[in-house]
Amino acid sequence: MRSIKIIFLLFFFLSSAQIFAHPEDELIIREIEEGQLSFQDDQMTAEYEAALKRQRLRKLNAMSGSKQFFLFVKAGIEHIIPKGLDHILFVLGLFFSSLVFMSLLKQVTAFTLAHTLTLALAALDIMQIPGQIVEPLIALSIVWIAVENCVFKKTNKWRPLVVFGFGLLHGLGFASVLSDYGLPQGSFIPSLIAFNIGVELGQLLVLIIALALVWFFRKKTWYRSYIQIPASIIIALFGLFWFIERVFL
Amino acid sequence: MKKLLFLATLVVISSCKNETKQPEMQTSENPFFQEWNTPFEVPPFEDIKDEHYMPAFEKGMEEHLSEIDAIVNNTEAPTFKNTLEALEKSGKLLNKVQSVFYNLTGSNTNPKLQELQRDLSPLLSAHSDKISLNEGLFKRIETIYQEREGLSLTEEQLKLLSDTRKGFVRSGALLNAEQKAQITKINSEISELTTAFGQNLLAETNGFELILDKADLDGLSDGIIAAAAETAAQKMEAAESDEDKAKYKDKYVFTPHRSSMYPFLTESNRRDLREKLYKSYVMRGDNGNKTDNKEVAAKIAKLRAERAQLMGYETHAHFVLEERMLKTPEEVYNLLMQLWKPALERAKVEVADMQAIVDAEGHDFKIAAWDWWQYSEKVRKARYNLDEAALKPYLSLDNVLNGVFETTNKLWGVTYTELFDINTYHPDARVWEVKDKDGSHLGIFIGDYFSRSNKRGGAWMSSFKSQSNLEGKERPVVVNVCNFPAPVGDDPALLSFENVTTLFHEFGHAMHGILTNVTYSSMSGTSGPRDFTEFPAQILEHWASEPAILKSFAKHYKTGETMPDELIEKLLKASKFNQGFANTEYLAASLLDMDWHTLSAEDDIKDADAFEKSSMEKIGLIEEIAPRYRSTYFSHIFAGGYASGYYSYVHSAVLDSDGFEAFKETGDVFNPELAAKLRTHVYEKGSTEEAMDLYTQFRGRQPKIDALLKVRGLDGSAE
Repeated sequence: MRSIKIIFLLFFFLSSAQIFAHPEDELIIREIEEGQLSFQDDQMTAEYEAALKRQRLRKLNAMSGSKQFFLFVKAGIEHIIPKGLDHILFVLGLFFSSLVFMSLLKQVTAFTLAHTLTLALAALDIMQIPGQIVEPLIALSIVWIAVENCVFKKTNKWRPLVVFGFGLLHGLGFASVLSDYGLPQGSFIPSLIAFNIGVELGQLLVLIIALALVWFFRKKTWYRSYIQIPASIIIALFGLFWFIERVFL
Repeated sequence: MKKLLFLATLVVISSCKNETKQPEMQTSENPFFQEWNTPFEVPPFEDIKDEHYMPAFEKGMEEHLSEIDAIVNNTEAPTFKNTLEALEKSGKLLNKVQSVFYNLTGSNTNPKLQELQRDLSPLLSAHSDKISLNEGLFKRIETIYQEREGLSLTEEQLKLLSDTRKGFVRSGALLNAEQKAQITKINSEISELTTAFGQNLLAETNGFELILDKADLDGLSDGIIAAAAETAAQKMEAAESDEDKAKYKDKYVFTPHRSSMYPFLTESNRRDLREKLYKSYVMRGDNGNKTDNKEVAAKIAKLRAERAQLMGYETHAHFVLEERMLKTPEEVYNLLMQLWKPALERAKVEVADMQAIVDAEGHDFKIAAWDWWQYSEKVRKARYNLDEAALKPYLSLDNVLNGVFETTNKLWGVTYTELFDINTYHPDARVWEVKDKDGSHLGIFIGDYFSRSNKRGGAWMSSFKSQSNLEGKERPVVVNVCNFPAPVGDDPALLSFENVTTLFHEFGHAMHGILTNVTYSSMSGTSGPRDFTEFPAQILEHWASEPAILKSFAKHYKTGETMPDELIEKLLKASKFNQGFANTEYLAASLLDMDWHTLSAEDDIKDADAFEKSSMEKIGLIEEIAPRYRSTYFSHIFAGGYASGYYSYVHSAVLDSDGFEAFKETGDVFNPELAAKLRTHVYEKGSTEEAMDLYTQFRGRQPKIDALLKVRGLDGSAE
């Protein structure tokens, strides 16, 4: 078997060494013995994506620890702003529920704890739920909290619990992006933590911007009817659209 | 000759030159028309688009021709510098675009490049003819050649001069006008016939399909079945009429392509279907239809003999071998026949082993050619019990790369640094800088290891930039392309041991391209004769099979544990398996090649089948084995450039076994003195000296065949 293989190798090597001699010969021989290459777009795209990920991981593994950490913080931020529009809307959904600091803090904390938990579980391969299930549910979670904002004037007691549940879903969403992105074998945990820090920073940034935009109207009597409710409706519509898109289209 | 062919390819196009000028815009954007300011002059792959090639080829050929004209029309008397060196410096643009193009058509192609490749081939061969048949150019070279004694040229310059001259002479430069016209006529006839041979064979190979129902798949594994279903689906999609489509619906298709046929022959329990598929393969071009190749092959052989005679050679083989390490047909026959007897004896033992299994299974048939794959696999399992899957976890790509880096480091002190900031043509193509033991830059190594749908099968080495010391120190950029299975999920890529030897083999070629240190690029690296250039590659494989070295890199990718001794022992024992078959089919094809090309112009072969039959009877080939290629599908020799050269592989194998034996004899596979000799006389020298001289300078004597017989288990050592 070995010499069969060697013969093959030789044959192919010679063909390339002879690049300048008879390029046309080799094309003929290869096409005859191997058949034509088939160029299938979806397969080629998948191969290319996988290769890109391998390349990214090789680069990552060759970096220093601090550089890796910084890179994953950045990746975490980027997966909120600008790439994570659904997560942005969810956080805005929380924001438009209440302007009471404590209430908001409770919700955001619940969300953070929950998504950190599932992100870690999924990244460590302890828990696997397919994207076709998680993604539509994430869309629904946005609809849910936005509708709640319109229905209840004040946030109800169980709201942080609901948000915690939804946070579990969003964590799975982050995990799938992260697994496409790839984590370096050598520093798995630090990179995971860095990514999560990035996500928190991105989330915080969304809240700060939102607060800055409504700062002067937050005490107005019309805040709820002209800002809080319309914004929530728009958020709900987006969520609904994504749900339909992710399930049916 | 090499230089000539090279020039030739570089040369031809003025006839096709388009009068309408390319718009300036395009010229300024085309990366081939610019200096490459990339690190180490690695081609700027990201900027090169498909549409840049053709204009660059056209301009490259045009520039090359005008450079040649300038050399020919130089009013100064011909000197080595104004002729040979000027020739060496010519054709830079064409060279640049060619090396990128022909690398990517193999490793990262697309339908557009494939089409370009077809369009370019006649243009380039016409270009090459314009240079190799240029009388003015030859006259200048001949003048210098005649005066060479008094010119105080270096040895390398003398070799360049005589090689270049010989190339012209071999294209007919010394013939009179009438003879030249005859040669041109024969050449064009041969070229038409070789094209026809290839097209016939393509039609014959694609024309047969074994369409099976689910019930016919007995014995086949899931992967093979899935591939056959995929083939059927593709055929269905390509079919035009509904009737044709229906033919493939829910079926499984096998074809006489090796990738489809071998798995079927190995696994299928349907002996009748194995026979059918096997026969479709060996009868290609021999079906007495419109695409029959019997007459075509005989005509090609006859024309080649006529041409050789016109040139003053006894036969075509004499003409070809003049430039090889083995200089005459007698030497080639002598080598092949020394191996033939032990190989055939071994094959007969293998047949008996397989027959014993057939009998034990209670079957009542005699082993036939189409049973070989299935029953040799059964013998292998029974005798060696080597579980390939158990090896793989120890052979991750990164560990194997470390192994080859470490091996070459111990031999020559070279070191490797992976570079991450150089963009290549594909994210799987990795880049390393190779440095010498004193830290100086030697070259760039690109390793592109995984199989993908736009890459040709097989494994090869090539270069994007070759080495030269003519205009400053130019260091090479070389590439290894392989087809190892890509990793699944987040696990590392795991190789089979066969992949490991392939990697070492190709890396040996890469070393030949990287360590080279000569003045003229046309004589650098792997430019030597075909029966020599495999030597630097094949010898490196031996280190991969040394238990101590294997243990140094074969570490389990999860546990870090070293490959157990017991596994290594089994692995090495299994390497001698089925060598009777492999050598017999290969040697039979090599002898057939020689028989065709030692015909004289007077011989008139009417029936290629009868010729082949008598040729094989003469050596006593058994009916359980066919030559690796039968005449009617021996595309290497009748459609490609391997006529009277198929023996080269085994000649290089004699050298590598004998060469490695030298290390073994010293008791140290890294013997520094021998390693240094191997480097200076072989890896550095390119083709600046006669290959046999290079070998004997390294080895201290001429090669012997004994070590090869031992390695392949043809000395009676295989079980």
